[in-house]
Amino acid sequence: MRSGSLAWPLLLAATACGGGLQPEPICGASLIGVCGTIRFRGTIPDSTDNVFVAAYASFPLTCTELIANRQPFIPGSVSYTDSVADYSVALQPRTYAWVLAVWKKVGTLTLTPADTALLRVAGYYRNPADSTQPGVVTVPDGSAASDIDFRVEFDSLRPATDFVTCTAR
Amino acid sequence: MHRALATLVCIGASIAPLGWVAAQGVLRGTVRSASGTSISGAMVGIAGSTLYTQTDGDGRYRLSAVPSGEIRLRAAAIGYSPAATVVTLAGGDSATADFTLEPSPLELTPVDVVSTKLPQFGDHPATSVAQVSPDEIDRRAVNTIDEAVDKEPGIQFLNGQINIRGSTGYVQGLNSRVLFLVDGVPMNQGDRGGINWDLVPVDHIERADILKGAGSSLYGSAALGGVVNVTTRDVPAGLHARVRLTGGIFTDPPHPVWGFRDKPGLQGGGDGMISYGTEIFGASVTGGARHSDGYREHDSQNHWQMAAKSRWQTSPKTRVDVSGAWADDRYDTPLSWCTQGECDDMGQAYQPFKVDTGGRAPWTHSRKGYLAAQARTVVSERFAWHARASWFRTDFFDQRRDTSEFGISNRFGAEVRVEAHPDSTRSVLVGGEATFSDVTSDVFQNHSQSEYSAYAEVEQPLSRLARGSARLKAGARIDFLAVDGGSLTAVVSPRLGGSFPVGSHGAAVRASVGRGFRAPSLAERFVDLVAPEFGLRVVPNPGLRPETAWSFELGGRSAPSLGIMRVDGALFWTEARDLIEPTLIVTPGGPVIQLQNVAEARIAGVDATLLAAIDRLTTSLSYTYLHTQRRVPGSANAPLAYRPGHQVKLSADYSLGRANLGADFRHASRPERIELEGFVDPRRVPMNVLDLRAQWTRGPLELRLLLANALNYVYNLVPQTLAPVRTTTLTAVWSH
Repeated sequence: MRSGSLAWPLLLAATACGGGLQPEPICGASLIGVCGTIRFRGTIPDSTDNVFVAAYASFPLTCTELIANRQPFIPGSVSYTDSVADYSVALQPRTYAWVLAVWKKVGTLTLTPADTALLRVAGYYRNPADSTQPGVVTVPDGSAASDIDFRVEFDSLRPATDFVTCTAR
Repeated sequence: MHRALATLVCIGASIAPLGWVAAQGVLRGTVRSASGTSISGAMVGIAGSTLYTQTDGDGRYRLSAVPSGEIRLRAAAIGYSPAATVVTLAGGDSATADFTLEPSPLELTPVDVVSTKLPQFGDHPATSVAQVSPDEIDRRAVNTIDEAVDKEPGIQFLNGQINIRGSTGYVQGLNSRVLFLVDGVPMNQGDRGGINWDLVPVDHIERADILKGAGSSLYGSAALGGVVNVTTRDVPAGLHARVRLTGGIFTDPPHPVWGFRDKPGLQGGGDGMISYGTEIFGASVTGGARHSDGYREHDSQNHWQMAAKSRWQTSPKTRVDVSGAWADDRYDTPLSWCTQGECDDMGQAYQPFKVDTGGRAPWTHSRKGYLAAQARTVVSERFAWHARASWFRTDFFDQRRDTSEFGISNRFGAEVRVEAHPDSTRSVLVGGEATFSDVTSDVFQNHSQSEYSAYAEVEQPLSRLARGSARLKAGARIDFLAVDGGSLTAVVSPRLGGSFPVGSHGAAVRASVGRGFRAPSLAERFVDLVAPEFGLRVVPNPGLRPETAWSFELGGRSAPSLGIMRVDGALFWTEARDLIEPTLIVTPGGPVIQLQNVAEARIAGVDATLLAAIDRLTTSLSYTYLHTQRRVPGSANAPLAYRPGHQVKLSADYSLGRANLGADFRHASRPERIELEGFVDPRRVPMNVLDLRAQWTRGPLELRLLLANALNYVYNLVPQTLAPVRTTTLTAVWSH
């Protein structure tokens, strides 16, 4: 009985010491998605509420697609107060045609095309071979696409209409 | 129903003169342990009759209006072997019968006040019942009763929401599939249907009884998955006082990168109770406060509480109890931990100890209180009636960054029931209950809900089918529900159960089948707000229907084996319909969340407990296996959200005379599924929590040391909500 009495606490300690929540760097080994670094330039607008990173499997053609096809559908957040910030976004493994940073002004998103009034394109990952074009990113099974770095220009935030047609199709 | 009532009245009227016209006397005495310690909350009475009572804090009891003659009196208490004695009472006289109960950790449900509304003396309930004894509440050094209930087999708390065998899941505080009773009075909130576990000060509580499985045939709505009844301490004769002081410290996060403050968080508080009583009248008042810095950022809490109870033996046959409590909480609201960018993330994907306070509820002010009166008249040893009236009020105010929310709700209840014992082996219970709830709120609007019900239950022996004291219970309840004075919806909840002794050493088999239901809460029907967790609007659904479920149980308990161990186990199976779940729907204005009757579900499993006691060591090991399946038309079957498949609990206590050492370990596997996955941080891990405790008593002074989550295991049970870290608490209690 005495050896049994000792065994129980040891078993419990062994069980409880393993597992549990652990620190997870932004671009950690458990991430399935994209991660990298964003460099911020310009003056942060007073009306800034948030900056988030989004991805599209295919380039959106309309405002409806801009909202409905965004991944993740509910935006996260990126720290934008320093000049450089690491970021990560959990995404399904597949190829993405457009990975971008979105600036959001203060206001509540309705997850409809009307949200474009609150959102601006702040920067996007560019094709290393042709920096005028968006870069394609592939999220592999079970891991992350890292070093997806890009720049945010607070002084040249661009409306969605620069990229898509905001008429319902 | 009217015929049943009339029949009962006739039975009562006809039985009352038999023996009752003979002179009556008073039985009084004490119930003590073999070591001489008084046992409070022990049930003393004449089995199969209306004559029963509980011992007060000094272990004293008094039974009045006892018919003269030879009386077989029984006494039972949790953790002790029941005892019986024969007393001869002369007409108009009084007699004393003192009991000495032998400790018996292997004794299972010796007293049960929740499986039926009548106390059971060592009879085997037809449905599984778990109990938290006064000794367990003391030893576990808890601040609120849920912390003690959480250690019972098959029970898990998710952010304050109780799950009995996986019943509730996690429902964002908008309902509960478990009914909460205080001294038999329903206390689920009038607006949200949830449970305030801190409503009654823990020092005011005697014990808790937990019914596992559908209890709607007696208790109505919310008893879909079970019932928790908290019994408050009775007022002892004489002058008594008790002071409890507690202080504690929260351990820092185990990883420096999760650090969020320079000095450790503290908690502390104090309670005081004073009571005075005679044999006829007694009253007690409890008051106290506590403060906690919290174990995470933006988590401080201030709590004030007060409770009072009085008893009055208005005549030898009638006792009136009036009780009430009030609690006031002002706490920060850490809704969810922050992910990258929402706070100073220190380069981490998430920070479990930090919260994003921007745009979320910075603090909440919550007040709740109740007032209840109960009267019981023993018309004869075969017939008694019981009436109660209650008022439960809750009031909350959430302050957010840009806005605020408030809600004030009332729940008024009344019940009348009669109990008849045609002979010492049979009982009949018939009652009626009415509840009116209303809410005034900017998020739930202004609405009301009424519930009217009638119920009956019969219990009798099955001597032709089984030997010994095999018993059969059958009952049913009908509830009529109306919202805002509209048309009535009827729900019928029958139940049939039986217990069958096997041999003469306490082994028994039990079986039951019953239907449970839960009426949608006013909050579920009418909630209209933007959920801060998702940024989505939650829209009302006034047309919600009640959830219903059929529950089956087949269980048994063994006789003590070798005098040191005993097993109790049950197979359970629930088929639920119209379960209410948050559902994402697309409207022309964009996606919104609405609560809808979308799911059918199956919850099946095994619940087994092994009790062992050797010399000074008492242990219990329990295992609960849950298999759940959620069926929604048009989508693939999946497990129900927030239901861990495996739960293991281990408790051990070692007695050293004046001191006691103990440990509790709880494991729950990682839930396979959560709701609204894709909208919340899906990180979740298994739960492995070890609590260590020590208790030392000398005279009127008692010290309790609790090391909760001793291994500082960092975990969460619901998305983005950190569970408590290691907390060291020292409690000192002085009793007079």
